Amino acid sequence: MKLPEMKTGLTISAVIHLALLLWGLISFAAKPLEAKPNDALPVDIISDKQFSEITKGVKDGAKEKPPAPLAEKVAPPTKIEEIKPKVTEKKELDAAKADNQPPPPAEEPKPKAEATKLEKKEPPKIDPIAETLKKEETKKKAEEKAKAKAAQQLAKQPHFDPSKIAALLDKREPMRQASAADQLNQTPSLGKSDGNAAQLSQSEIDALRRRLGECWNPPPGAANGGQLKVVLRVLFKPDATVATPPQLVAATASPFGPAMAESAKRAILTCQPFTMLRADHYQQWKDIEITFDPREMFGG
Amino acid sequence: MTGQGSDGGPLTRAAGLLLNRRTLIAGAAAGAAFGLRPRRADAVVSIDVTQGNIQPIPIALPDFVGGGGNDSDVGRNVTQVITANLKRSGLFAPIDQAAYLERVSNIDALPRFPDWRAINAQALVTGRITRQGDGRLKSEFRLWDVASAEQLTGAQYFTSPDIWRRVAHIISDAIYQRLTGDSGYFDSRVVFVDESGPKEQRVKRLALMDQDGANVRILTRGSDLVLTPRFSPSTQEITYMSFVNGQPRVYLLNTETNQREVVGNFPNMSFSPRFSPDGQRVIMSLQEGSNSNLFVLDLRSKQQVQLTSGPAIDTAPSYSPDGARICFESDRGGSQQIYVMSANGQGAKRISFGDGRYSTPVWSPRGDIIAFTKLGGGSFAIGIMKPDGSGERILTEGFHNEGPTFAPNGRVLMFFRDPGGKGGPSLYTVDITGRNEQRVPTPGFASDPAWSPLLAST
Repeated sequence: MKLPEMKTGLTISAVIHLALLLWGLISFAAKPLEAKPNDALPVDIISDKQFSEITKGVKDGAKEKPPAPLAEKVAPPTKIEEIKPKVTEKKELDAAKADNQPPPPAEEPKPKAEATKLEKKEPPKIDPIAETLKKEETKKKAEEKAKAKAAQQLAKQPHFDPSKIAALLDKREPMRQASAADQLNQTPSLGKSDGNAAQLSQSEIDALRRRLGECWNPPPGAANGGQLKVVLRVLFKPDATVATPPQLVAATASPFGPAMAESAKRAILTCQPFTMLRADHYQQWKDIEITFDPREMFGG
Repeated sequence: MTGQGSDGGPLTRAAGLLLNRRTLIAGAAAGAAFGLRPRRADAVVSIDVTQGNIQPIPIALPDFVGGGGNDSDVGRNVTQVITANLKRSGLFAPIDQAAYLERVSNIDALPRFPDWRAINAQALVTGRITRQGDGRLKSEFRLWDVASAEQLTGAQYFTSPDIWRRVAHIISDAIYQRLTGDSGYFDSRVVFVDESGPKEQRVKRLALMDQDGANVRILTRGSDLVLTPRFSPSTQEITYMSFVNGQPRVYLLNTETNQREVVGNFPNMSFSPRFSPDGQRVIMSLQEGSNSNLFVLDLRSKQQVQLTSGPAIDTAPSYSPDGARICFESDRGGSQQIYVMSANGQGAKRISFGDGRYSTPVWSPRGDIIAFTKLGGGSFAIGIMKPDGSGERILTEGFHNEGPTFAPNGRVLMFFRDPGGKGGPSLYTVDITGRNEQRVPTPGFASDPAWSPLLAST
């Protein structure tokens, strides 16, 4: 028990601690944290239904241009090359128009004479069909031959020569196809609305809800009926029609209950098919539970 | 960190431990990632539909087929009455028969629903009238839901042939009730005061008719002035006031037996009495000097009970359908307002607080609203409010609209309007939402309507 030693050590320690604390208290004294004045950001809380409605638009509004891809420079106008000879583009089987092809001499008087008589049109037409088919076949063969020749030429290319890399470099102006267009557009677009998404999108649900609201005709007496809710379960076929009659899952007990349930059933059955539901999301919407609640309509 | 004992050097032990910890962490991370993987929601999607359209229901009513002979004429008439009833209610939109694709000839077979769906009918009514061998009329009908292709309801009635109109009204009630959930009001009658003659010398007679204006029956001769007929809510009896030799007298008339009795000579009566819900008592206001008080009179024992007292004018009382409360008009607060008190006269409370003077309150047979006449701004208006005074709504305004009376289902109000000038008053109906105001056809001018309860319920 070495008390005196401990005592000095204790006192020194206590004193130093106290000193530290006091210093801390004074130096870290309450300086109120200054809050920089922020610009008030207007915030609007909307439901997703309202969000969809913002983007709903009007039926007769101006058609939106599809989102433009990023374009950093204006591309030079590209020449439209005609790859195929003119003749095959015109697949019309009207013999009179096939000017480039020498029509068989036997056909000539017939097409000219058929102006008034319809029956005679039929036989002459069959022949021109065969003619053009034959011509297409010959052209195809010619193309294939050309392709084969090109392939052969490529195959004949000499082995890779490192010293002649410069010669092999593409001398054309660097031009990313993706970023050249007719008009400059510096902001890349956000993508397209029909891009792939795995989930049933909120706007599909809203479109379905809106469509049902258009068809639903609740009994007017429901206004005074108090809390009237009807829940129906619907199974859909892949073509968005109803597979089985809607089943009643729940309804508030009320004299208007049966009339409400029937009006809801009627709304679902008369409103089909629900074309706004996308076929690739079928797994999400094949089984839906719909709650019909007229409270909002009657100011409840 | 370094463990004690165990084989192998510290390096291998440490490596083993690290490995263990690493594998532990890796395993935990993998487990968490596995748990958080995106899973397909197999749960049922649920959506809420909270908005709809209140629109008349499109309904198809092909002529009722006839069992034989001229039954098809009766069938056609019945169909026309039903169509007119449903159309007048404002809740149905009967489709023109010219548009029908299928000709119904056998009501026991399933209709071709695609044909009815093609014309956008949501409901279909088919029926048959057959005169039986014993002279009775057999009327049958079926109500179909076109969208789900099933029958909703059907019935058959055996009646005497001359009340085919009542059968049509009963069938209309059944259709109305099945599709709207509300009970119907078509099988009822209206008693009113039929006015004829020049304005200075009007002849007023009591008249009784079906609610659609048919079968008008004059009940009094017109030599005495008649006023304010009232229908009993549970019996087929009417009270009305008649001035005999200048003295007001209250009569009780049974419309089925045509028997008339005098309720009493009330020299100091201004309004006709109203019935209590059970039809055994009448409540009325009697004048004493400059004030008027409410009294209840038992029709059988003729005993009188005074309900209100005081210097104010208390008049135009009306019972609630459960008989527990009474609404009346009083000017005890300074101007004519509506008050509600319990049936024994206690606890009178004012419920009308708008601008204007309120009068002639009538309690709906459903008990959920009170209709009244409001005088303000130089015009009369018919309005409704809840029994606690909230939800006041004006249904119609005009120069002189007065005397609202409720249909048996509490959804439609009838009142009379006097345009002033050379003409005379006419009867009008309006839905309690304020929509669908229609004129009721009467042989001449008409005022003071009173709607009977459903005939089948009395």
